[in-house]
Amino acid sequence: MYILHYAPDNASQIIRLMLEEMGLPYRTALLDRSTRAQDSAQYRAVNPTGLIPALQTPDATLFETGAILLWLCDSHVSMAPAPGAPGRADFLKWLFFTANTLHADSRLLFYPEQYAGSPEAIPAFRSACEARIHRDLGLLEALAASAPDYLNAQSPSALGYYICCLIRWINLYPTDRTGWLHLANFPALYALALALQERPAALRVSTAEGLGSTIFTAPHYADPPEGSVI
Amino acid sequence: MYILRFSPDSASLIVRLVLEELGLPYEARPINRDAGELSSPQYRALHPLGKIPAMETPHGPMFESAAILLYLSDRHPGLAPAPDALDRAAFLKWFFFTSTNIHPTLMEIYYPERVAGEAAAEAVAVHAAARMKVLLAALDTAAEPNPAWLSAYKPSLLGYYVAVLMRWLGQNKPSSVAYIRSTDYPALHKVVAMLEARAATRTVAEAEGLGAQPFTDPI
Repeated sequence: MYILHYAPDNASQIIRLMLEEMGLPYRTALLDRSTRAQDSAQYRAVNPTGLIPALQTPDATLFETGAILLWLCDSHVSMAPAPGAPGRADFLKWLFFTANTLHADSRLLFYPEQYAGSPEAIPAFRSACEARIHRDLGLLEALAASAPDYLNAQSPSALGYYICCLIRWINLYPTDRTGWLHLANFPALYALALALQERPAALRVSTAEGLGSTIFTAPHYADPPEGSVI
Repeated sequence: MYILRFSPDSASLIVRLVLEELGLPYEARPINRDAGELSSPQYRALHPLGKIPAMETPHGPMFESAAILLYLSDRHPGLAPAPDALDRAAFLKWFFFTSTNIHPTLMEIYYPERVAGEAAAEAVAVHAAARMKVLLAALDTAAEPNPAWLSAYKPSLLGYYVAVLMRWLGQNKPSSVAYIRSTDYPALHKVVAMLEARAATRTVAEAEGLGAQPFTDPI
């Protein structure tokens, strides 16, 4: 039995979608962000970095979204090319591109006050971030259009869920820029988002975290039954 | 045969050290940055963003340092736990932590103007340096028990990654906000000091002109 330490509509959502899609038994442990539970001594004992998510397995505790994702794929030989399989090299490079470039650029966009240095610098900072995110998504659009095994609208994939969750958050945050990204300009990613949000796994996570029906293509702010998004 | 496209002392260095340590046949093919090769259609076919490194493999072109490292280590065992090993989980979390937290923060320290323009560069660097110290302290704690994947006694994939990041941090001037030395982090220092004496490191240091103590006292 896995234990996913989560907060609604946080990065833990990527892992929860995978656990649901793989049909693995797990339970959740809520981190109440309104009381900064991620900074508590109890959670720091699980994850010394205080970042969300963490996944407890019978043998070890994992953190870092990309690490958990890859470990789940390899442990259950599911949702990504296995080590040594054709497509593994390409999958790895786009996984790290997503984690290090798209995810990193998104984080800068979400928290400009943490990164831009001064309030005066935020507008320039924000336009630079948005330009990089358009560039990143352009590359992923070309990849999705070529429909490799590890990223296509016909079958659920770890990389597909990862990218679609990022697209969701890019359109929701920061709150004064909601909806700035026009996903229709990226037709292959749009088709991917549409297909994944209709999966039973996605519907279950949507219900559990209060995400509404069009979680990737036209996201709304979460209204979770428990916990706090920020 | 792997063909590593490199520029001296850039992120290709991490991959080159690992290729040497694994004793793999490879060609290190220099990138002519001055002639704008990073923007050439040939290089963009390897790496669409024109960044360093890129590597040609029997499975096609690869980019992203950490992806190349993991690809190599899964194909040629010895420097990291195999995909089905019990300590794979611990290795992966700190490997991703290094790649997605420490490495980008280092880039913010080195190129703060890229984050929000020249005007905000100094403030960005100050923020990034403060975060860097917290991140390195966490990794240092993880290295204390001497796990096989970040050991002071034998070479490891993550060890080489950290060694190169320590090299670049150590190149900052003492007056810099980001003046960080490997000795500030005792467990990590032991790892990188051991790696500095490896034949693989000597070979690459010679090839790229990195000096006698490329990780603990970089020039």
